[in-house]
Amino acid sequence: MSAHATGGDTGGETLVNGAAARLGGFRAGAFPRHSPAALAPSSARTPAAPSQVKIGIRDVGKVFRTRGSDRPFTAVTGVDLDVREGEFLTLVGPSGCGKSTLLDLIAGLTAPTDGEILIDGRAVDGPGLDRGIVFQQYALLPWRTALANIEFGLEAKAVPRRERRERARHYLDLVGLAGFEHRYPHELSGGMRQRVAIARSLAFDPDVLLMDEPFAALDAQTRESLQEELLRVWEKTHKTVVFITHGIDEAVYLGQRVAVMTSRPGRIKEIVDVRFDSREGDLRADPVFGEYRHHVWSLLRNEVAAGREQERTVD
Amino acid sequence: MTDILAAPATGAARGDAPAPASPTTQTQTQTQTQTQIPAPAPVSPAAPESPKSPEILEAPESPETSRPARLAGLARLGRRVRLGPLVRRAPAVVLLAATWEMLPRTGAVDPVFVPPLSEVLRAWYDLLLGGQLLEHFQASLVRSLTGFGLAVVLAVPLGLAIGWYRPVADFLSPVLEIFRNTSAVALLPVFILILGLGEPSKIVFVFYACSWPILLNTVSGVRTVEPLLVRSARSLGLGPLSLFRKVILPAAVPTIFTGIRLAGASSILVLLFAEMVGAKAGLGYLVQDAQFSFRIPDMYAGIITISALGLLFNLLLLAVERRFSTWRTT
Repeated sequence: MSAHATGGDTGGETLVNGAAARLGGFRAGAFPRHSPAALAPSSARTPAAPSQVKIGIRDVGKVFRTRGSDRPFTAVTGVDLDVREGEFLTLVGPSGCGKSTLLDLIAGLTAPTDGEILIDGRAVDGPGLDRGIVFQQYALLPWRTALANIEFGLEAKAVPRRERRERARHYLDLVGLAGFEHRYPHELSGGMRQRVAIARSLAFDPDVLLMDEPFAALDAQTRESLQEELLRVWEKTHKTVVFITHGIDEAVYLGQRVAVMTSRPGRIKEIVDVRFDSREGDLRADPVFGEYRHHVWSLLRNEVAAGREQERTVD
Repeated sequence: MTDILAAPATGAARGDAPAPASPTTQTQTQTQTQTQIPAPAPVSPAAPESPKSPEILEAPESPETSRPARLAGLARLGRRVRLGPLVRRAPAVVLLAATWEMLPRTGAVDPVFVPPLSEVLRAWYDLLLGGQLLEHFQASLVRSLTGFGLAVVLAVPLGLAIGWYRPVADFLSPVLEIFRNTSAVALLPVFILILGLGEPSKIVFVFYACSWPILLNTVSGVRTVEPLLVRSARSLGLGPLSLFRKVILPAAVPTIFTGIRLAGASSILVLLFAEMVGAKAGLGYLVQDAQFSFRIPDMYAGIITISALGLLFNLLLLAVERRFSTWRTT
């Protein structure tokens, strides 16, 4: 948790800072000349060096041609966003603002009409195993057991059979489902299915985890425990996570940065840096959490109203 | 004996009464029991107090209460040895058989045209001993299985191709649409004209009739695969071939099997028609020939055999289907 507390800093500093924070008591000894207070602001101001940007979204737009209409449908336009290596970025926006389109673009499932998307500086030209997606509706193969579903991605990566099984077991264990190897998806609860889906995406070891409202279909309690679990897994695996949600609480709770989108055509309205001194206890009751929450809420409120107005005129 | 009878009987009586009462509501439940079942009411409160005297317990119990209890016990036994479905389905069949037996005997229907079931069964047995039944059965089975098998082997791949490749679908759809709406029965004269009265015309006829349900179900099976699964597989970088092999095909299997099962039923149906029009062997021929020569019990024997064959075929296909789609929840 401590890594998350200070992990909101820019780029390479994140790792140093995070590691230092994790060392805890040893930090003073390790960096005798810097006080923690002096370290944090300086790193926050450091601009991200190009090599530390994991996903670069450059002036990206996507226009769909719709059937039975001369007017093309602009889902997103002029989106500029850098996601840093190892960062947990949440993306919120009013419904229909093109969040999922943006995720599809990063995943390479669709190609942008304008601009380009770079992963490690290289333009995306299709889906790949360097990015894993977790869908809201799990997308598990119903004829495969939990274990076999996790192995699915490894088969695409041509991992040898025995290693596949071992790795699948490891990740099933990581998401807390040891003992459920041979259950079929319909024999698992919604929360368990999503755990399997997360394990599947982690198993082939992508650098980037793209999550499309993964917890939206779950009940509040399951959602909260999965959020905690996701943070735990993220801290263990150091993945770069882009997490789409329409829940403000979820965005603030999970994200080191919260990117707020405008209503359609979607673009990035503001990026909010989220930092807590401590994540111990009931973080959601923390006044600082409330402030972040309120800030994001105010940003969204106008957009939601605009989005509703738009829908009405389209009808 | 009394022990055995008494035990389930009192058990059932207690089971009928409201749930075991907590100390506070005990009096209330007792009055309830009394109002609900007047006759055995004095017995049920007494039962737990006198476990040593089953004879006394047995005495006040009227036969009305003990018989349902015994039946309930039997039913429970039946369920335990998985006779449940059989027990549930048997009455209707038994009723049908009894009606068939009784109506001709009472003269309600003409026994010449509808002989009693026992006579039909005797005729069936004679045909079996004479070897004719087996001969006809075999002839029909070979024809329908060959036609059916050919349809599975050819229509499934074709359906997969049509469902998966848009160009193939666009190219073949108009022709398929024409043939689909051309009744197989209407084409039988054509098959006979070209292939003669022998086996090939009948096999092709069955093949033609079986192909449609398999083809159409396979196409829809491939087309209706959950798009999210395809998206998810594509996001893993699966190529078209492995996408097809690992996602499309397994997802379509249940729908394909529905088509195969429909085809299995129609394979026997249409074959009988072909055998009635022109054949020297087969169950259809047996029925037709028996009717022409007024061997009415033989005719019914043939019909019964046909029903049995259809039932067996369907059961077999169901078993295979279940084996291949255990993951299905419905």
